[in-house]
Amino acid sequence: MAILDGTSGSPTRKKPSVGKWALYGAIGIILLAVPAIAQNPYQVHILNMAGIYILISLGLNIAMGFAGQFNLAMGPLWGVGAYTAAILNTRYGIPFWLNLPASMVVTGAIGALVGLPSLKVRSHYLAIVTIGLGEVINIILLNQEKLTGGALGIPKIAMPGFFGIPLNNDRRFYYLILVVVVLGYLLARQILGHRIGRSFRAVRDDFQAARAMGIDTTYYQVLAFAISAVYAGAAGALFAHLNTYISPDIFEFSSTLFVMTMTMVGGMGSLAGSVIGGLALPILQELLRVIKNWQLVVYGVAIMVVVLFVPGGVVEIARRLRESSANRKSRSSQSIAAAEQAEDSGVP
Amino acid sequence: MNNTSIFIQTVIGGVGIGSLYALIALGYSMVYRSMGLVNFAHGSIYMVGTYFGIMWYAGLVMGLHVPYPIAFVIGVLLNGAFGVLLERILRPLAKLDLMFMLLGTIGLGYVLDNLFVIIFGAEGFAVRSPLPSMPLVILGVRIQPQMLLVIGVSAILMVALQLFLARTKTGKAMRASAMDRDIASAMGVRVNRMNALTLAIGSGLAAAAGILAAPIVYVNPAMGAAVGLKGFAAAILGGLGSIPGAIAGGLIFGVLEAISAGYISSAYTRGIAFIVVVVVLMVKPSGIVGEITVEKV
Amino acid sequence: MFLEIENLTMQFGGLVAVNGFSLGVAEGTIQGLIGPNGSGKTTIFNVLSGYYKPSGGKITFKGKRISGLPSYRVTASGFARTFQNLRLFKSMTVLENVLVGMAQHAETGLLSAIFNPIAISHEEEYFHEKAMGLLKLLDIAEFADTLATSLPYGHQRRVEIARALGTDPKVLLLDEPAAGLNETESENLRKILLQIRELGVTICLVEHDMKLVMGICDRITVLDYGKKIAEGTSSEIAKDPVVIEAYLGQEDNS
Repeated sequence: MAILDGTSGSPTRKKPSVGKWALYGAIGIILLAVPAIAQNPYQVHILNMAGIYILISLGLNIAMGFAGQFNLAMGPLWGVGAYTAAILNTRYGIPFWLNLPASMVVTGAIGALVGLPSLKVRSHYLAIVTIGLGEVINIILLNQEKLTGGALGIPKIAMPGFFGIPLNNDRRFYYLILVVVVLGYLLARQILGHRIGRSFRAVRDDFQAARAMGIDTTYYQVLAFAISAVYAGAAGALFAHLNTYISPDIFEFSSTLFVMTMTMVGGMGSLAGSVIGGLALPILQELLRVIKNWQLVVYGVAIMVVVLFVPGGVVEIARRLRESSANRKSRSSQSIAAAEQAEDSGVP
Repeated sequence: MNNTSIFIQTVIGGVGIGSLYALIALGYSMVYRSMGLVNFAHGSIYMVGTYFGIMWYAGLVMGLHVPYPIAFVIGVLLNGAFGVLLERILRPLAKLDLMFMLLGTIGLGYVLDNLFVIIFGAEGFAVRSPLPSMPLVILGVRIQPQMLLVIGVSAILMVALQLFLARTKTGKAMRASAMDRDIASAMGVRVNRMNALTLAIGSGLAAAAGILAAPIVYVNPAMGAAVGLKGFAAAILGGLGSIPGAIAGGLIFGVLEAISAGYISSAYTRGIAFIVVVVVLMVKPSGIVGEITVEKV
Repeated sequence: MFLEIENLTMQFGGLVAVNGFSLGVAEGTIQGLIGPNGSGKTTIFNVLSGYYKPSGGKITFKGKRISGLPSYRVTASGFARTFQNLRLFKSMTVLENVLVGMAQHAETGLLSAIFNPIAISHEEEYFHEKAMGLLKLLDIAEFADTLATSLPYGHQRRVEIARALGTDPKVLLLDEPAAGLNETESENLRKILLQIRELGVTICLVEHDMKLVMGICDRITVLDYGKKIAEGTSSEIAKDPVVIEAYLGQEDNS
């Protein structure tokens, strides 16, 4: 898995080879060419939404997959980001470029507050507490009509411009989202790859042992929540300015579930998993539109299959395939298998 | 009408809704206790149970209009049988980490909800109460007859459950199995069968809650989501795994909702109840009746 | 005194696990703590390492009070512990386990993690070197990149010690480090502990392996029913009738 996301922080991580750089280059060119390849703007729109979901999923993954903190308020926190940007834009005319950092800061702060109960309660109790606080956020969005427009939401959010170029359609907005997602991914890698990531995983693996190692668990728990919320905030600002209209129902608990599902399908505990899941689910949803109502049934069955048979998600399938091909090439000794397993330390 | 009778009226309404939450919370708690499973599909099971009963009463099956009590019994039994079936599906999930358990059961809920959308359509319908809709007036307090039915039947079911667990051989075996699976199976208790029975009872109670609630709420395939979440919050509030806790948690949650809706703001009802749950858990992290377990180093 | 436990009492509900226990430990020594099962040894360790807040009494380290501090702050003030029932981080390699404890000495924070990757990688390099040194000391360097929990039991014990040393402690609290080790492994452990003492680390040792305890401890304290019943050098303890009595009484029911 380290090959995919390199978050294990292992010192023996190999430098990417020439072949790998070529692969990265190819992926880069495809990513840049997408708006030109796409047959219609709607396809680009799906990818834009996928990018927004990838950001939220990265946040969820940091909190849940790496630090083991149940943040089931991700959907409503995404809403906080979107509303912050929407209110700043429609009321005070502040442009996207200032709203993005503002949303990240505001949502990060609220995320830290949502994380405070994690200092007292754990596992399913923490799950319900964060769900509950998410509900509270949603109810505030719904009922503070003067500020949020209530159930009707906020329309007419301006799309951003970039040095005179209006990013006023999906094809143009795509590049903005691409840049933010790539930055968000690299940032997550940077944060998780070293000491902070290890401390997160120590808190997740064994809370008491982590404290005994001198780790200020309080700080890391709240930090995990705050970072996840910062990602939700960035996704919210992007969404508000892309969609130009937001309403509270978009950010209900079901949106948390959607993000959680894509993260699990991709691979909880692996940043690559967030990217894969974030891309796969919105696209899958589109492909499955043909079977109409059966779509969500298939969806539910898929979740159960992943949970029961490949709890590490697509990332784990990839690893298994790689391992079996490696085994075929050479009868590898146990120690290599163990080392590979160690590299996959992200998967809980 | 004076303030006292309005207050009493509000509380009775809360107790009514609360006993529905309690019936649902019991399902969460019993299943958690016996299988160690946090079953997030329980809200959907509640929805399924509602349809299993109401479809006979509301003429969805060949235009039949079976009397309400009979439809109630059919619904409870059908959902109980459905629970036995679910045990097979949930068994492997119970062995997983909470995160996977959560998602797996949510996946199951998705499947159920959307199967019912396909069968019955996403549109819901209102259900006529079997009792007269004229409110009874007792000492100046106005009460909906359906609410009395809800409270009465729920109380009977809860007492029956307690008696079953405390007095019957099967009930005792269930409790033993919940307490220690290994010892129970060594003593010849068939743990899987006990789990199936637990799910049957939990699903039956959920169906009862749904069929009782049907004339008050709007029946549709999405009805389980909000109620399921509240039932779970009630179970957590009482202390997940505790039967008296589930009942207490459900009633407290219902009354809190009613009071906050009546006196503070109906818009913030949902939120206030959740805030109380959060506050309670902060003070007592294992719920009202839950035991604190000290981690051994 | 370097480390001073004064009149320590620990109650759980009605149960008194430790009762008015006092002990002074001199710098650079190996202090043994022995006693029958349930005599309160591990409880004392748990109070020392900050897992429990004592019901009474106090602990001072180099004149500063540490009792009642949360465990991570106790660790930061120079204590490190191992766990009786191995508690290694299950998703991490041996090296990563050791690196975790070094985190608290990091000078870089979240912001440098984001904006100053060069400082981070320098720091990582420094930590890696130090950690590898510790792994060599404990003779497990070859397993650096192996998943810690996949190692055999005896090796995992050593990882626990290396991880504790990673926090750069002044006092090392070892909770039954020889449990489950065979004769050879136990002998290796003895040598390692002596080496650690050479590094200037004071060691407190809870242990059932009498051969090990008698062989390396500078001073031994004997506990029974939460109270100190004897204290002295190993030869003094071996002759003490009270100690023999406590242990013989225990042999009947073990």
